[in-house]
Amino acid sequence: MTERPNPDDALRDWLRATWQLGPDEHLHVGVVGQSTAGARRRNLVLEITGGPRPGRYVATVLPTADIAILSMVDEATIRMLAREHGVPVPEVIGVSVDESVLGGQFFISEFIAGETIPRRLLRLVREHDIGPRIVGQLGEAFARLHAVDPALAPAAIGAPSAPVGAALDAVSTVIDNLLQPEPAFSYALRWLREHRPTEPPQRRIVHADVRTGNIIVDHTGLRSILDWETAKIGDPMEDLAWVCTRMWRFGEDHFTVGGLGTVEQLRDAYVAAGGIWDEQRFHWWRVLVTMRWGTGLAGQAAMHLDGRFSSVVMAASGRRVAELAYDALTLIDVG
Amino acid sequence: MALAHASLIAGFGSGPGGAGCEALGVQYRPDAAELLDAVASLLEDDVIAAVPAHLQHQVRVAANLCRILEREATFGPANDAAERGRLAGVLGADDDRDLVSLRTELAAILADPAPIEPALDRSIRDALLATLRADLAVAKPGYDATTGAP
Repeated sequence: MTERPNPDDALRDWLRATWQLGPDEHLHVGVVGQSTAGARRRNLVLEITGGPRPGRYVATVLPTADIAILSMVDEATIRMLAREHGVPVPEVIGVSVDESVLGGQFFISEFIAGETIPRRLLRLVREHDIGPRIVGQLGEAFARLHAVDPALAPAAIGAPSAPVGAALDAVSTVIDNLLQPEPAFSYALRWLREHRPTEPPQRRIVHADVRTGNIIVDHTGLRSILDWETAKIGDPMEDLAWVCTRMWRFGEDHFTVGGLGTVEQLRDAYVAAGGIWDEQRFHWWRVLVTMRWGTGLAGQAAMHLDGRFSSVVMAASGRRVAELAYDALTLIDVG
Repeated sequence: MALAHASLIAGFGSGPGGAGCEALGVQYRPDAAELLDAVASLLEDDVIAAVPAHLQHQVRVAANLCRILEREATFGPANDAAERGRLAGVLGADDDRDLVSLRTELAAILADPAPIEPALDRSIRDALLATLRADLAVAKPGYDATTGAP
């Protein structure tokens, strides 16, 4: 058995083949940093010298294909599609399904400098007073994404024919199988059923996880939207609701949208860029995604208890259920 | 026995769970809340700094869990009694029913699509929010104090 070559050499050889470089053409690839911020994914920061695209890049590696929500090829396709339509996404310059190069499928995208870590990001935003600008840029980015013809999306992407019904069924199933009855969840579920909107008039490509923590920001404002593995065809209002959930404010609760700015700023920018805002639907999705996260926390506690994933962090999720139930009921209260 | 125990505690002062506590006579001091405080302080003040970086988050979570359990030991019995009273009130049930059966009954009523009168709906929601506020006082004090948008 031969040792797997180090990532520098493996990537250099892969790029040489991809770019069809001649034997005399110089190419050097150095791994200058790494992060595992994306939990399951590994990000290698690369410095490429020589070849047609010298510069700094990121190789995003999915360790095993079987846990992918979306294949790396499909995710790269969605990223390129969003970018072509004016959504700020790092440019993808290569995709590999060959797992032997880096120990998993990967794509390479341009490195965007800036802050992603939520508390540091919010400090930077306060220092430069750019929260409202970023919220405006997010509203515009959502409008552009939601304007893309969903027929252009890869066929393998999740595309429930009835996104409202599918989301409600998923939450309902978890509540039916809770370890013990939680009347606050039952109350919120009843409200969701009674106030269920019609299915969206237009199903669109949604990112489904845009939030503080999945964006890159610098002193000029929003630079990029990251982590497109959750992308699917759905109700555009789901995207706008998710970015408003309380856990993405990291304590800056006076700014509903990710601790950055107000719903009015988000709505104005979305509408100005051509998005169709539906207030009632938006409110319903806010309660739905809050409940989805709450039932997810209950699920994590169950995974700890039945041994599927024993960890003090998963166990602690059970004691966060009250936060999400409280958020859901207070949202219903003002609705 | 219990009398001797009580006079000892009276003689040595009392903490949050001390003299007058329902658990008096079950175990010698420190009580559960005091022990959890000691464990949490050890984790927060010494252990986090001494473990490798990849374990620090877990130790911080463990310390926070001790703090939650410390508050649960202190407020839990009163919170449960108050919730029992509220649920018995909205269900029109005896308040000596156990909490799980009351919660199960309310969850079943809410899961049933049959209409609920607006006034009852309002009192159910108020009861649930009061319980959640009490739960948050244990699990995350201050979470319900925000004046911002929900």
